[in-house]
Amino acid sequence: MHRYMASGLRLESDILLPGLIEIATDHSADVTIERRPVAPELADAEAYGPTWQSSGDTFMLRVPGVARFLLTGGRAVAYETETSDESDVAIFLIGTVLGILLHQRGQVVLHASAVRVGDRAVLFCGASGAGKSTMAAALGERGFALLADDVCAIGVTLGGPTAYPDGRLLKLWGHAIDQLELQDRRGAFVRAALQKFYVEPKVSTVEPLPLGAVYVLREERPPHRAGIVRPNIVDAALLLRRNAYRPMLVRTMIQQDNYFHATAAISSAAGIFHLTRALNFKELPQVAAGLEVHWRELGLLAGAG
Amino acid sequence: MRTIWLASYPKSGNTWFRMLIANLSVTGDEPADINDLPERGGIASARGPFDYLTLIDSGLLTPDEIDSLRPRVYERLARGEPDDEYDAPKAALSVRFVKAHDAYTLTPLGEPLLAGRGGADGAILIVRDPRDVVLSLANHLGATIDRTIAFLNNREAGFCTAPANQHSQLRQRLLSWSGHTASWLEQTGIPVHLIRYEDMQADVIGVLARALAFAKRDASEEAVRRAVALASFGNLQRQEAENGFAEAPRKMREGLFFRRGEAGAWRKELDPDQVARIEAAHAPMMERLGYPVVELGNAARNG
Repeated sequence: MHRYMASGLRLESDILLPGLIEIATDHSADVTIERRPVAPELADAEAYGPTWQSSGDTFMLRVPGVARFLLTGGRAVAYETETSDESDVAIFLIGTVLGILLHQRGQVVLHASAVRVGDRAVLFCGASGAGKSTMAAALGERGFALLADDVCAIGVTLGGPTAYPDGRLLKLWGHAIDQLELQDRRGAFVRAALQKFYVEPKVSTVEPLPLGAVYVLREERPPHRAGIVRPNIVDAALLLRRNAYRPMLVRTMIQQDNYFHATAAISSAAGIFHLTRALNFKELPQVAAGLEVHWRELGLLAGAG
Repeated sequence: MRTIWLASYPKSGNTWFRMLIANLSVTGDEPADINDLPERGGIASARGPFDYLTLIDSGLLTPDEIDSLRPRVYERLARGEPDDEYDAPKAALSVRFVKAHDAYTLTPLGEPLLAGRGGADGAILIVRDPRDVVLSLANHLGATIDRTIAFLNNREAGFCTAPANQHSQLRQRLLSWSGHTASWLEQTGIPVHLIRYEDMQADVIGVLARALAFAKRDASEEAVRRAVALASFGNLQRQEAENGFAEAPRKMREGLFFRRGEAGAWRKELDPDQVARIEAAHAPMMERLGYPVVELGNAARNG
């Protein structure tokens, strides 16, 4: 059995989950992950999509040709593989499955990477391909520790919003690894069939951190010009919901209120911004430098603001 | 709500057609914003709706795995399911027009990629003389004419195919220019209404009106006339010059997406050998669509 910490949850898993934070085995687990037969259909599905069905507190996800996953009550995950290559299963467990599980637990969870700036978490949200991991990797090279690469759970308490780490590894495409010159820290394939790899960041942190800023990444394309802007609270609320780690689940599980409260908390304690920039590697250093200026203005970094 | 694919090989007038449709619902004198079109149906190969509906990060799937799931996604979108989160529901459309550059192919599981009748009620196929397509596509891709001809002639050509990075869109199998056109004309799953770009140029009002009748999209004669005026090439170019165009590719060679839109420019800009290479690969389909070949005979005599 493997014991991990991810998104603030203690996991007990019979399958290796690359990059998650390993912990001692003397605590009871919040979530168990084990291989067990999973039927391809739920008997009494109330809602369903192209790859999933849900009924009460059970949720079945099928990644065709890879595995079927059955999640129960935010506590238990069963998986049945549809491939002989078991290493393909892990990336879906630590991504989509964990994201759905967090939704089952009523937790706000963003599709975001995050780094440590001072003693706070700075998040970069965006759809698949928006450049989240690349941004975290580039900032990592400038000394900002990795907090999350893909799934960023947010806890909202009286003390303010907190971001939880999702692991210790980045997931990057071969092209990005070459452009960022990270070849020497390239690890295993994320999936054997893809040229996407686990990459060891220069520094990572495993402590939950209070939020400092949330940036929603956007490509510089007409009519959006490069820069950082702060949308109004109504737009910010929609942005946060659109960048949930599976926005449709917010709707299906009727959790819009959680995201609205999180928007209010994040806006008052930190800030939700649009970061618009050219989507290329050449301008990354400039973007990173611009962010550091912004962090001084926000008081996240010491120095003239 | 009905769904109609706006199917075309790239650079064949698809965007112009979408601009015409977008301007049908404009009420004032100002043309629709080319960067914020009403009646937005998007493109079939967009990543967002796929990830939204499947809950799976398409960046973690192979192109074949994605293709196997795409029919399920199109079925749900055709039934009016949302493809993203919005504050206000989108205006109820009688017809959802969705751009597609994909050829009409089968998935690895043997079903139509675009889900046949479950994915759409019909398709408007826009074709253009491949000799003019080459000129426009070379500019679009930032590639040489000769490389672009090889692309048109390649039976396995596609967009977003390189495996070492993630593309902004899902992989699109285009096939060769002839293969693309044949795949749409010869499929039997959904009705197809064929439009030639050259006919749009000669009589855009008539072509648009007939296409709208096929799609069962109601529009008055007045609305059609106004849309044609608002989406004139000059207007599109002026908007692009002032504000840029969000859909223009990053590696485009010349400044403008709305470049010239001429028909027959190939006569001046392609050399006889280039024309012969296009015609040698595509003569049967060109003749079928009314694009007479000119160099093939010469090349045979000279060669």
